[in-house]
Amino acid sequence: MATSKTLGESLRQHGVSRRGFLKFCAATASMMALPPSMAPAIAQALEKARRPSVIWLSFQECTGCTESLTRSFSPTVENLIFDVISLDYHHTLQAAAGDAAEHAREQAMNTNAGEYLVVVDGSLPGPNANPGYSTIAGISNYDMLMDTIDGAAAVVAVGTCAAFGGLPKADPNPTGAVSVQDLVKDKPVINVSGCPPVPMVITGVLAQFLTFGTLPELDEYGRPRAFFGQSIHDRCYRRPFYDKGKFAESFDDEGAKAGWCLYRLGCKGPMTYNACATMKWNGGASWPVEAGYPCLGCSEPDFWDAGGFYKALSVPTGSPGDVLLTAGAVGAAVGVGAGLMSRNQGKQAVKHHDKVTADQLEEKL
Amino acid sequence: MTQGTHSFSVERGLNAWREEIDAPVAAFFSSCVHCGLCAQACPFFVETGDPKYTPIHKLEPMRLLWEQEFTLWGKLKKTVKDRVDTQLGRAPKPLITDEMLEEWEPLLYDSCSMCGRCSMVCPVGNDIHYMIRKAREGMVASGHSPEGLVAASVRAVNTGSPMGLQWKTLDVQIKHVETATGLEVPIDKQGADYLVLLSSMEIINFPEYLEAITKIFDHAGVSWTLSKTCFEATNAGIQIGSKDIAATLVQRVVDAAEQLQVKNVISPECGHAYTAIRWEGPNAIKRAYPFKVYHIIEVLDQLRADGRIKTEGKEMDRLSMHDPCNLARKSGVVQQQRSLMDLVASNFVDLKEHGEFQWCCGAGGGVSSNERAEPLKLAAFKRKKAQIEEVEPERMVTMCATCRTQLEEGLEEFNMDIPVVGLTEIIADHLVEKEVENKKAEES
Repeated sequence: MATSKTLGESLRQHGVSRRGFLKFCAATASMMALPPSMAPAIAQALEKARRPSVIWLSFQECTGCTESLTRSFSPTVENLIFDVISLDYHHTLQAAAGDAAEHAREQAMNTNAGEYLVVVDGSLPGPNANPGYSTIAGISNYDMLMDTIDGAAAVVAVGTCAAFGGLPKADPNPTGAVSVQDLVKDKPVINVSGCPPVPMVITGVLAQFLTFGTLPELDEYGRPRAFFGQSIHDRCYRRPFYDKGKFAESFDDEGAKAGWCLYRLGCKGPMTYNACATMKWNGGASWPVEAGYPCLGCSEPDFWDAGGFYKALSVPTGSPGDVLLTAGAVGAAVGVGAGLMSRNQGKQAVKHHDKVTADQLEEKL
Repeated sequence: MTQGTHSFSVERGLNAWREEIDAPVAAFFSSCVHCGLCAQACPFFVETGDPKYTPIHKLEPMRLLWEQEFTLWGKLKKTVKDRVDTQLGRAPKPLITDEMLEEWEPLLYDSCSMCGRCSMVCPVGNDIHYMIRKAREGMVASGHSPEGLVAASVRAVNTGSPMGLQWKTLDVQIKHVETATGLEVPIDKQGADYLVLLSSMEIINFPEYLEAITKIFDHAGVSWTLSKTCFEATNAGIQIGSKDIAATLVQRVVDAAEQLQVKNVISPECGHAYTAIRWEGPNAIKRAYPFKVYHIIEVLDQLRADGRIKTEGKEMDRLSMHDPCNLARKSGVVQQQRSLMDLVASNFVDLKEHGEFQWCCGAGGGVSSNERAEPLKLAAFKRKKAQIEEVEPERMVTMCATCRTQLEEGLEEFNMDIPVVGLTEIIADHLVEKEVENKKAEES
């Protein structure tokens, strides 16, 4: 397909100024925690980069990840970058249908063997599950994934379903859903988790791949450290309220109105690693906590099964119970009783006080 | 209240402890974490290294009584023990015996000067010194108080002085002072601002004190008086640990002050006399005073601050100071004596640990009246000696007759040629002479 144009040429064709492009490069460098001196290198590399072929596979998913990546209010630099990759196969976005669509996928695989990127969104029924739960053109998800990744350079699992199994895998997992990393063992897998992930995160990962031909440094869950290195809590603008112990207790109380910490309303920020708090959503407009809603922890494995969304992290799961209360009351009563008895004892002793006199002492001498 | 109808016995002693065990005591005993920090704060332990001198251990018999009679666990234990004894048909073993109290007598009296340093270091805030004072009540009532203190208490009540001193002895001193100074020592002057009390130790060993205040008060124009009915400030009742005896002695001071209608009472250069009248007194007689109580050092510092004391010249030798426990640690009088020293000393150096955390001289709390405690008193002094050696002063200054005597005796024992002086005397030595002052006024 059309891989002849360089990225630089393509961007200029789309009316992106050089200044805008360099701004994007600098932002990307800082996002990936690279020194500012790397921005020109990124620009240089991106200018010359050939549009790589990308095959996008959608399995057990809701299309939310695609929505997140493509939705834009104006053509942002990120969207354009996305435009200028050669997206050779994508259910939702491609014009072709039926056999022609599958043909496009096969052609891209043959032409770019060993160089193309596979992006997966959605989990898929595992090799031991009934393959009929999810098929495309009569091919099971499992077969399609294994066939496609054969000649891929790397696999990017977009969204929590692809990265960790997500909603399909949530208890009781009726379709035997598994994540991409459960199946792909011989290719690098980058997990860009989130339900959906922040758009800048996937463009950032692609930019690094295009620039350096390398994959980003990953954390223990296979997520790029540059974006998933810090917890929501550590970067949350409501953190000062947490430190002062000021919490909203319900969604419409004074604390909620004053913008206090949402920890007690079930915020999972302390155990969630993602870039929401710093990069925000919808072109930097806002993000869940800023909108007054506690973080669900959507970029973490098994977040659907991690207890209720509105249950605070360290609140005991059961009620403390009447036993404790009764024990406390009985203890207090016993204590008061013992205290009164002791006091009475003291009073009795005072009553029996035998005055010491000098004459008595003298008898001792 | 019964009036001395019973002889001293263990049971009477235990009853006294039951009276003394109050909420603070219960809280202190329950909070002790057995860390042993109080041992490191006690000069008697530090200088002997004998663990039985650990301050909190000195309270063990009283703690046993508290545990058995004032805690749920102790009561339970006693019930079970009594059951077992009945089953086996044997007589129950008493918790606290005469032998035990005899063993503890030297711990509560000979090895404790009630200096209160242990209370300062306790990490859970236990006021150990407060409990020692209470424990002594039981020791007196059970007949386990040292002979020296018993004798001093009897003399104090019967003669008005723990040393058996009478007014005629003081009268001789007064005549001496009047001859030497050419000033009158006011006696039984109605409505004076200050009633001055003395300690027998001063009258016998340090008559220069009376001379010094006569000069200073004349210089500053202070209206003061002595009382013929009560000249003694010390309180043997506090030392032996009997609130009954203490109340009798405090009452004499209060009666004399009220009779003369003075506004203030001055405690002399003596530590325990001050705490006895100032802090324990109103509790002992169970009412507030119509007058105020000051230590002489507090009065002198106030006169200094008011500009009523004018001095000339300064002591040139290297002076250091011993803070009496009762004054510095227990009453917070720390800065006053230093301000006064600045007035008259050009080369003053503080001991390393001073003020609230100073080390006791080893003679307080009745130890000096207890001949049996002589070796321990000297052992405890070694801590003070080490402190003095650190700064190598040429003379020591203090403001308590007991401390002063202990310092003099101790330093002599160790062949250290360091004289000890009272602060009041030094101030008196540097007063600007009245005639000189008048002459200056005339000239200008």
